[in-house]
Amino acid sequence: MSLWAQDDDPTLTVSTKRQVMVGERFQVVFEANFEGKHFNAPSFEGFNVLGGPFTSSSSSVQIVNGSVTRSTKNTYTFALQAAQEGTYRIGSASLTVKGNKVSSEPFEIKVIPDDGSYAASSGNTNGNTSSQGQTQNTSDPQVSGKDLFLKVIPSKKSVYVGEQLTLTYKLYTKVPVSSLSVSKSPSYAGFWTKDISDNNGGNLRQSSEYVNGVEYTTAEIQRIVLVPQRSGTLPLEPMSIECVAQIRTQGNSRQSNDPFDIFFNDPFFNRNITNVRKELSCNSLSLEVKNLPENGKPASFAGAVGNYNFKSDIDKTELKTNEAFTLTLTVTGTGNIELLKMPEPTFPPDFEVYDPKIITTTNNTANGLSGTKKAEYLVIPRRAGSFNLTPVEFSYFNPSTGSYASLTSETYSIQVEKGAAGESDEGSIFASNQEGIKYLGSDIRHIMTGNPKLKSTGTTFFATPGYFVALLALLLTFIVLLLVSKKREELKQDNAANRNRKATKVARGRLKKAEQYLKVKDQDKFYVEMSQALWGYIADKLGIERSKLSMDTVSETMKGKNVPDDLTQQFIDTLNSCEFARFAPGSAEEKMDDLYRRGIEVITKAEKVL
Amino acid sequence: MKRYTLLILLSFAALTMTAQTQNEQWFEQANAAYNAGNYDSAMMFYEQILATDVESVPLYYNMGNAYYKMREYPMAIYCYEKALKLDPSNDDVRTNLEIANLAIVDKIEPVPQSFIVKGWNGLKHKLSGDEWAYVSIGAFALLLVAVYLFLRGRRTGWRKLGFFGGIVVFIVLALSVLFAAQLKQAASKQDQAIVMNPTVTVKSSPNEASIDLFVLHEGTKVTLLDEADGWNKIKIANGSVGWLQADFMRRF
Repeated sequence: MSLWAQDDDPTLTVSTKRQVMVGERFQVVFEANFEGKHFNAPSFEGFNVLGGPFTSSSSSVQIVNGSVTRSTKNTYTFALQAAQEGTYRIGSASLTVKGNKVSSEPFEIKVIPDDGSYAASSGNTNGNTSSQGQTQNTSDPQVSGKDLFLKVIPSKKSVYVGEQLTLTYKLYTKVPVSSLSVSKSPSYAGFWTKDISDNNGGNLRQSSEYVNGVEYTTAEIQRIVLVPQRSGTLPLEPMSIECVAQIRTQGNSRQSNDPFDIFFNDPFFNRNITNVRKELSCNSLSLEVKNLPENGKPASFAGAVGNYNFKSDIDKTELKTNEAFTLTLTVTGTGNIELLKMPEPTFPPDFEVYDPKIITTTNNTANGLSGTKKAEYLVIPRRAGSFNLTPVEFSYFNPSTGSYASLTSETYSIQVEKGAAGESDEGSIFASNQEGIKYLGSDIRHIMTGNPKLKSTGTTFFATPGYFVALLALLLTFIVLLLVSKKREELKQDNAANRNRKATKVARGRLKKAEQYLKVKDQDKFYVEMSQALWGYIADKLGIERSKLSMDTVSETMKGKNVPDDLTQQFIDTLNSCEFARFAPGSAEEKMDDLYRRGIEVITKAEKVL
Repeated sequence: MKRYTLLILLSFAALTMTAQTQNEQWFEQANAAYNAGNYDSAMMFYEQILATDVESVPLYYNMGNAYYKMREYPMAIYCYEKALKLDPSNDDVRTNLEIANLAIVDKIEPVPQSFIVKGWNGLKHKLSGDEWAYVSIGAFALLLVAVYLFLRGRRTGWRKLGFFGGIVVFIVLALSVLFAAQLKQAASKQDQAIVMNPTVTVKSSPNEASIDLFVLHEGTKVTLLDEADGWNKIKIANGSVGWLQADFMRRF
């Protein structure tokens, strides 16, 4: 296999591929069978020099049939990358030995266009194999997409927001593959992700699988849990990996007569296995993410999707003030337990509650995430009494049934007894235990119930006909009342004036009659006339109604009208004696005369005053 | 003739009675739905009542509450404002309107009112328009009594009472008539509106191409000053004036 000269003739040989594809990386190796100095590299025009020269040297001593051969080998390796199509001439490299300059042969490299399924050959070296393969493997060994491909398998294609699914990236291969690495990871926009790959010590789990009747070896590259955070059709970027496929070349293009060649080319010795670097991308995929149904969404729903169990636990329900108890809420199940929002219990306002301690334990199973989330509340009641802890409701959406479920914790009744009186409580007699009212929340005021008091739209009472009618009615009533009262008064005044005017006349008439009776000595009739004359006169004069006529009213009215007291007295006396004589008959005639005279006198006197 | 009139009157009364009871039933059903948290169906019943061309403070108030619970704050504010127009004195409506106004985007510092205007409006808003109308009728009746006393009082005391009482009652009458008239005018004018679109830009003139003055958000109350082909000149509580398309607002 060794090409270098056995003799001492200093040579500088070059070995490389003569045909490369654009973008391909390859090596150019200059080999000298001597120890030289001042290596002078050619300019690799048209190529990117990725590295070099890397020098290495080796020497060996052979003893064959007693003759000793010493050989030295120095290599100068360049890593190049073809940049553009075309044929490029590479000048010669030179090396100085013992004052002589040894040059290599200039050579040409043809750069052909990338054929699409570009597989960068990593220098196609496998030890010595290619160092001599200057002419072989001119066409790159190809690995077809059927022999090696990457596939992504979602556990579901249609999920709800918040529902987890697993993506499995699987490599299917018929050829041995080594040095796998992920070259491009998708970004998973719109998803919460968690890698649950089963990495048992860096080895990939392998199995075999039949695809269309062909057996493949499969390896799980990555297994990832996705939890979509928004709805819609979310595309997943494909993942790309880089790997090295080991390919058996179909025989050697150059039939060597060297028996060693034949021997070493035996597949058993892997001699003609080529490593091909390959970049694989998986199929692109998009997931249908549905919104959670609005229908039947419980008020306590806080985004939990999956299948859960909910329970609560309390360590004691009877305690004293300022002692603590622990309320534990536990949610267990499959689903995105890490992002799960624990329901928050409400405690009576006199309880001091500390922030809960939340413990999350998750298990990554092949089916996704599951686990337990625990919230531990440390609570200290500060006041004695009997309290009920309102049950906590935990709601989740179960994607397998497509419906919501609500679980409720137990109701705990807590008896808090008054503990040993706190020091502060006893400090002073004046220390008051009163507290201001604690407002727990605010809301709009509740609706009005009862009579809705509906009326036609746009009606106001003011300035409507009804309003004016009411005013008018009031005004009319007022006017009528005023008129009536005025009329009445007038009438009354008329009456009184009339009576006043006629009083003297009537009295005179009565007195005349009484005089006649006096003459005929008819006592009874005389007194009747006399009395009527007096009463009638005073009633008419003073405007007193007959029904209200009495001694008292007469004297009062006379006083009110500023009649002199003596006249009033005289009048009353006359009236009295008249009445007395009237109901006690049998008195003398002169009495009648006297009464008649007094009657005329008081009437005349009164006439002057009234 | 008289009999027919009576008959017509009776049947009319019966008709209005059935409509009334139907509405009252709906109102009760709506309230029950509201209490159960079914604000949607409560709203349906309230709308049904409203469709029979009736209104009342409890109706608008409850509608506002249902809208509030459904987080439709602009409509809630609209309903509360409608209720306040009917009865500016209602404390529940005022409270809930204040709360609903906290839920909207725009916070506008109102122009401070003078002490006199504040006092005047405070007094005016102590009663609803109808109540002021009733007060005015009562005051009128009292005034007539006072005049009667003054004119016909037998004693000077009565007459004095009639005179001075009459003056007081006359002031009450004048105020109540004024308040009732102002409130009636305010109720019929529809010179206010609530912005219904989430974000609107107030322009300097009634023209799409004119300069943007400021941005308002849904739920903000504006006063309408003028109109011009589909645009309204508006004024907001801090005194800024501009033009806004009428479609973006709901008048009341």
